[in-house]
Amino acid sequence: MPDKVLVIPCSGMGKVYGLIGRESALKTVKDCPNEAKAMCLAYIVTGDEEIKDKIQGKRCITLDGCPAMCAAKSVELAGGIIEEKRRIVDTFRKHKGAKPGTATELTEEGWLIADEIAGEISDRVRELYKEG
Amino acid sequence: MADNKISIGVVSCSGEDCLGGTISRLAVRKMMDEIYPDETVTICLPLYLAGGEEERSFARDYPTIAVDGCSKCCAKRATEKYSGRVSAALDVSEIIGEKKALEGPLSTRDLTDEHREMVDKVTKEVKEKFEEVYNDYLKNTRQ
Repeated sequence: MPDKVLVIPCSGMGKVYGLIGRESALKTVKDCPNEAKAMCLAYIVTGDEEIKDKIQGKRCITLDGCPAMCAAKSVELAGGIIEEKRRIVDTFRKHKGAKPGTATELTEEGWLIADEIAGEISDRVRELYKEG
Repeated sequence: MADNKISIGVVSCSGEDCLGGTISRLAVRKMMDEIYPDETVTICLPLYLAGGEEERSFARDYPTIAVDGCSKCCAKRATEKYSGRVSAALDVSEIIGEKKALEGPLSTRDLTDEHREMVDKVTKEVKEKFEEVYNDYLKNTRQ
């Protein structure tokens, strides 16, 4: 069986886009329990050998809330293979004027956007998993 | 607390691996939104790696409290590895119990009253540490 695809959101403490990325990642993993696995970015940041072993050479999808692209950069440094780098803010081009909530709590509109992203990421996860 | 304006850093782990991580994040957000909004500053932990010198100097610029969801203590260890010593550290698993803290990650969509109580309990401890660190810092800078 192929390895599960690792879905890694940024820590996203300061902005609503970070929370949307996190919630999208959690929903993806819930919807694709056999194909996707979440991984804690804080653990990756520590640089521990144990986490490096778990990520090196593994297929990853990163979700970043802001242009700093912390998740993508940290995964690259740890040796993960990034199949897709998703910038949450890009999704908002399709949702001009949307009021998604705050870094603490999403509005109904925020949840709809998180679910939309999760749907797209889930499709990509299934595709990657099928490729083996 | 005194009136002098001091900012204290409160840094949460990312917490995508377990319930404790979500509780940790929400407690830190509560400090920022409700408890001490004008005195609390935070940083996204991975910015120590992905950011520049400004981000890496966070714990040197602010007395910092690490709030970790589990006993791996990633926020504390990463802060001390890349930025500077923390002034205090809390491990959520010691507050809500290890078994609970290690339950699966929780979406904020699925928060129950029990989870909210956990957030309040952790926030109370963060607030106490915050006040200790704040008062110590004030005392030391006045000497």
